Amino acid sequence: MLEESKVAFFLAKRSIVRGNKGTLSLTILIIGMVFVNLIFLPSIITGVAVLFNQQSIDYSYGNLVIEPKKNQVYITRASELQRKLERIPGITGVSPRYLTSATVAYKGNVVNPVLYAINPRDEQGVLKIGTKVSSGSYLADGDTGQIVLGFRLAGNEDEKLDVVPSLGGVQVGRVVDVTFNNGVTRQYRVKGIVTSNSFSVDSNAFITKEEYEEVFGLEDLANQVLVRTIETGKENEMRNTLLSYGVQEKIWTWQEKSANFLNQIIGSFNIINFIGTAVSLVIAIVVIFIVIFINTVYRRKQIGILKAIGIDRSIIIKSYLFQALFIFAIGTLVGGVFLLLILQLLAANPIVFPGGPVAPVVDVVLIARSTMSLFLVSLIAGYVPAWITTREDILSAIRG
Amino acid sequence: MIIGRDLTRVYGMGAVKVRALDGVSVRIQKGEFVGIMGPSGSGKSTLLHMFGLLDRPTSGTILIDGVDVGSLDERSRTQFRLRRLGYVFQDYALVPELTAKENVYLPSMARGMTPRECTLACSEILTLVGLGNRIHHLPGEMSGGEQQRVAIARALVNRPTLLLADEPCANLDSQNSRIILDLFQRLNRDLHQTIVMVSHEEWHKKYFDRIISMKDGVIEKEERRSEDGEIAPTS
Repeated sequence: MLEESKVAFFLAKRSIVRGNKGTLSLTILIIGMVFVNLIFLPSIITGVAVLFNQQSIDYSYGNLVIEPKKNQVYITRASELQRKLERIPGITGVSPRYLTSATVAYKGNVVNPVLYAINPRDEQGVLKIGTKVSSGSYLADGDTGQIVLGFRLAGNEDEKLDVVPSLGGVQVGRVVDVTFNNGVTRQYRVKGIVTSNSFSVDSNAFITKEEYEEVFGLEDLANQVLVRTIETGKENEMRNTLLSYGVQEKIWTWQEKSANFLNQIIGSFNIINFIGTAVSLVIAIVVIFIVIFINTVYRRKQIGILKAIGIDRSIIIKSYLFQALFIFAIGTLVGGVFLLLILQLLAANPIVFPGGPVAPVVDVVLIARSTMSLFLVSLIAGYVPAWITTREDILSAIRG
Repeated sequence: MIIGRDLTRVYGMGAVKVRALDGVSVRIQKGEFVGIMGPSGSGKSTLLHMFGLLDRPTSGTILIDGVDVGSLDERSRTQFRLRRLGYVFQDYALVPELTAKENVYLPSMARGMTPRECTLACSEILTLVGLGNRIHHLPGEMSGGEQQRVAIARALVNRPTLLLADEPCANLDSQNSRIILDLFQRLNRDLHQTIVMVSHEEWHKKYFDRIISMKDGVIEKEERRSEDGEIAPTS
C-alpha cells in the first residue's frame, strides 16, 4: 500500500512539476475562489447574526427581560423587584420600563410609534441608547414635558428619504403632540434624537417613566424590567439564579425575545448561503473533474503503457488523486490568502447593514467545514475520471 | 520456458469474425532470440500481446516458466508483467514528464526496490544501453533511437524472464535500427536474455536465432540461423 502510494506520488509530482503550468495555475485559482466563496458568505451571515444579537442586547432587551405574571398587565412593586435584582451577583443593571403605543403628531404628520417610558439613569445601566444621541441630549431622571425620538421617527423634510412613516423632519427643540392610548394628549419638547442603527430604537420614542405614570395615574409599576448581566451567554443560568431569589414574574432571555426576528433573517440568509455553497462545490467538482478527465483522456495511451509495463491500475488512479489533492491544497492556500486580503479590506471599509457595520466572522468550524467539503469534492472529482479512464483494457488504450 | 498451445484469438462479434490467431502452438527456450515475422494482419503482434499478457487468447493456454498465465486474475497479471516481463513498444511509449532515469526508475520503484537499489539498477542499465550521460534528459530532448534505448532499459530494469519487442525499429532509420538490434543481440548473447521480437524487415533476420513466419493467423514456417549466419528451415 505504502509502496503503491510512493509510486503514485512520484508520478503525480512529476506530472505537476513538468506538466502544463497554465492549466494548473488556472485550476488552482478557481479552487481558491471557490474556497473564498465557501467561507465569505457564511462569515458575513455570522457577522450579521453577531451584529443583530449584540444590538438585541445593547438596544432592546439587555440580557434578561422580566415581564408580568400570566394574565397581569403590570409588574407590581417594580422598585422592590429592582432592588432585589440589583443585589443578585452577576447583575450590573436593572431598568423597569413601560412600553405602550401612542400617536405622535407634528405639522400634520401623524405616526404611531412604540413609546418607551424609562428611568433614564437605570436605562443607561442596561442599554446603550443614551450613548447614541445624534442631536440634542438624552433624557435625564425627572424630565417632564420632554421626549427623545429615534431618527427614523423624526424623519426628514424630504419624505422620499424616509423608510418608515415619520414626523417629517422634526428637530430638537420643536414641540410634538403625543396622544396616549387613554385619550390624553400632551405636548412634548423634543430633547434629543438618537441614531443607534437599531430599527426598534430609531423608529420609536422615549419619555420618562415619571411622566408616563403621571399621565396614566400609575405608581411603581412596569411592563418590563430589563436586566443586564456581567456575562453574555449564561442567560439560562442567570434565569435560574433569579428564580432561586424568588422572582415570580416571567423571565425571558434576549435570545427568546428576539428569536423570531433573528430566525427569519438568518433563515433567509441560510437559504442563500446553501445555494451559494452548493453552486461553489458543484463548480469545484466540475472544474477538477474536467481537468483530471481531460488529463486522463489525453494520456489514455500513456495509461495503457503504464499498465502494460506492470504499473497497477490503483497506482495510476492514486497518482491522479494526488494531483487533485495538490490542486485542492494549493487552491485552499491561495483562497486563504485571498480571504485574508478581503478581510483586511473589509476591516478598513466595512460593509454597512441597516443595523450597522458588519464584521465577517471567520471561525475554525467554518474553515474546517469548508476545507473538508472541498477536500471531499476534490477526492471524488479526482477519483471518478481516473477510475473511468483506467478501466479501459490495455490494448484499446495503447491503440488510442 | 514459454509454451503456447493451440492459441486462437477471434476478434469481432456477431456474423463478422476475424481469426487473428488460428491454433498457433509455439515453444521458446530460455536464452533464445526469436523473431516473429510476417505481413500485416498475419497475427504476429497478436501473438506477442498474448505472451506479454496484454490480451487473452480466445482458446488455448500459455505457460511462462511453468505458470499458466491464463489462470491469473488482472492484478496478478499486472504483477507478472512487472516482475517477469519486459515490453518494448514500437513508438517508445515513455512517460513524457519523466527523465530517462525516472522512466527506468519507475518499474523498479513499483516493484518495491529501495531508492538506492533503484538508482543503482537504473545507472547500470542505462550505461548498458549506452545512455549513461543522458539520464537527466526528458524524452522530448532525445532522438528516437535514444528514446527507444531508454524504453529497452525500462523493460530490462527488473531483470525480466522474457523481453518482448513489438517492431521496436519501425520508427527508426536504419542506423538507429542497427544500434537497437545490436543492443538486443548483445543483451541476448551477454546476459542470456530471452527476447521475442516482432518485425517485418527482412534484414532483421540475421539478428535472430530463430524466425517464426506467420500468415493468416497460423505459423507458415520456422527457420533457424546457424552459427555461420545461414538461415535454414527447422526440421
